[in-house]
Amino acid sequence: MRPMEAFLTGRVWIRQAFPFSEQELQEAIQQNKAQVIAGITDAGECRRCLERSQASIIAYYCATCNKVCRYCRTCIKMGRISSCTELVVWTAPTAKQIGPRVFGWQGSLTFLQEKASQAISASIERGSDHLLYAVCGAGKTEILFAPIYEALQKGLRICVAAPRTDVILELAPRFHQAFPDATIHTLYGNSPEQNGYGEIILTTTHQLYRFHEAFDVLFVDEADAFPYSLDPSLERAVKKARKRNAPIIYISATPSKTLQKNVSEHSTIFRRYHGAPLPVPSYRALWNYERKIHRKKIPVPLKKWIEDKLQKKQPFLLFFPSVELIDQAAPLLKAIDSRIEAVHSKDPDRKEKVLRLRNGALLGLATSTILERGITIANLQVAVIGADHRVFDAAALIQIAGRVGRSAADPTGDVLFFHDGIAHQMDQARQTILSYNKEAIT
Amino acid sequence: MNCYLCDQQLRFVPSWRGIFLQELPEVLCRECRSGFLKLNTSGCRLCSKPGDALCRDCLYWEAHGYQDLIESGISLYSYNEAMKNWFHQYKFLKDVVLAEVFASDLKEILVKERATVVPIPLHPGKLHERSFSQVDQLLVAAGVRYSHLLEKCGETLGEKNRQERIASTDLFHLNGEAVPKQVLLVDDLYTTGTTMRHAAKALTQGGAKDIRMLTLIRA
Ligand SMILES: [Zn+2]
Ligand SMILES: [Zn+2]
Ligand SMILES: [Zn+2]
Ligand SMILES: [Zn+2]
Repeated sequence: MRPMEAFLTGRVWIRQAFPFSEQELQEAIQQNKAQVIAGITDAGECRRCLERSQASIIAYYCATCNKVCRYCRTCIKMGRISSCTELVVWTAPTAKQIGPRVFGWQGSLTFLQEKASQAISASIERGSDHLLYAVCGAGKTEILFAPIYEALQKGLRICVAAPRTDVILELAPRFHQAFPDATIHTLYGNSPEQNGYGEIILTTTHQLYRFHEAFDVLFVDEADAFPYSLDPSLERAVKKARKRNAPIIYISATPSKTLQKNVSEHSTIFRRYHGAPLPVPSYRALWNYERKIHRKKIPVPLKKWIEDKLQKKQPFLLFFPSVELIDQAAPLLKAIDSRIEAVHSKDPDRKEKVLRLRNGALLGLATSTILERGITIANLQVAVIGADHRVFDAAALIQIAGRVGRSAADPTGDVLFFHDGIAHQMDQARQTILSYNKEAIT
Repeated sequence: MNCYLCDQQLRFVPSWRGIFLQELPEVLCRECRSGFLKLNTSGCRLCSKPGDALCRDCLYWEAHGYQDLIESGISLYSYNEAMKNWFHQYKFLKDVVLAEVFASDLKEILVKERATVVPIPLHPGKLHERSFSQVDQLLVAAGVRYSHLLEKCGETLGEKNRQERIASTDLFHLNGEAVPKQVLLVDDLYTTGTTMRHAAKALTQGGAKDIRMLTLIRA
């Protein structure tokens, strides 16, 4: 495959940022292999993210093309696209590379994992969508390896999309190990340029905008929010990135009712790979915690819990409902022990702090909901401060609880909901976890 | 509609002021709005930098041949984290609608302005590349009338350091329009004040007597 074809197949690229010479591009256009299209259609639709709502496609007087021009706000963070922006797309079909490949994964699957793995393979074979409904710690990634290996040998182009960069970064080394001879691209905001034709693309959902009819099979990890009622553009990104009728495998520990209804083929795993039940959250009152923290006091029950973990040398996460509360609590927690740090979604040192907690340099981390997924730390203990707060819906609380007891060596641990009055969402999370545990033993 | 910055839905509160005084609509949620820090007028009398009545930058100009060239000046906001993010998305990601975020501030200040409002211009090449002038657009969004009197000479300030900036000669020349006596210069970001001093110098040479300045942000 020539470099331009390898780069451009299935992608949508801004011409100005196109990494090949004008001459090469012109050649490809003359051979009907590539095309240059306007960034926004006359009807006002963004050709990259398919946005068409008037609130997001903005008209203004443009000094580049000297007339009224429109730009798309939805995908603006990836470089603005306007009516006078030219996009390059590849239009020629790509030959499939069929043949035997190296499989570098040698682990074994539990009975339930094996069953789910085979069911997913069968769905891909039939070309139908599939929902893998599996609790946190069920060993979801391992379940995917065999189906992906089969797809790879059939020459299918594979995509694994997840909402956040952390998850993608965690997946990358495991995929490189499992598929040592495959070209794997890892894409997230500001990820380094990667050469060649990516056979397996690990990407944040947002980066999918850069693809167009690219994938023969798509795995959407953490598809809890699907269909994305709040951000329909993400669902559009998934649909746009797949080839016509390519199957989508949705993976979720807390799928929405709609998703469960819309996808007809399901696998469920309510038991963790090590077989131990999910830790069940317990409740503890923390009256007026907001006001107390505001007045520079860590409430006594919370302080006691922290001291207990410090004494037992168990790493812990404290989930707070807002960044403001984290900021107020951070110095107070540091006063208890200087090895307790705070982190929130906009913190540039986020990755590093999580790593320090994992390797023991930090003992505890106060965090907003952003860390609820994609983090696995041995022997981790978790407390939610203000579990009754509206930011913690049942799905988020289940995910938070799912951080605990992940390793076979330490399958238990604290999941403590500190509250200022028990909320329905807390009960719902607890009931759901109990029901998983019950179903797992039957 | 949704907040321009965080996309959460805005709760629309109709107000009599909005209906009768034709106030510009709020385009941010309360959280995003509260991230911006307004400067008060107790700082530098030329650029509002908190601290002395004349900040170090402005003092430098007063002492180096630009004394009393500018009558007075004001900057509206501090260059804090929220402002840096807004500025980046507006100027560099070219999210033109974000001009509306400060439209009512500018409208309130400029609605009764008697002097001719003169935005700092972009170099034509830069304007073509960026597709809009970020200063003009702020005024357009606020519904304020303005006149261009200046033209940017060749180079941009970008890569030069402070010394070179200050030493550099003539950043602007007049575009040939008649220069009125009273001028209010408008720019987006006040860093060292070089741009403003050079613009003021060109206008003074063209016959302006009373030059004041307004910047959205003081770095
Ligand atoms: Zn778009
Ligand atoms: Zn244009
Ligand atoms: Zn907002
Ligand atoms: Zn000053």
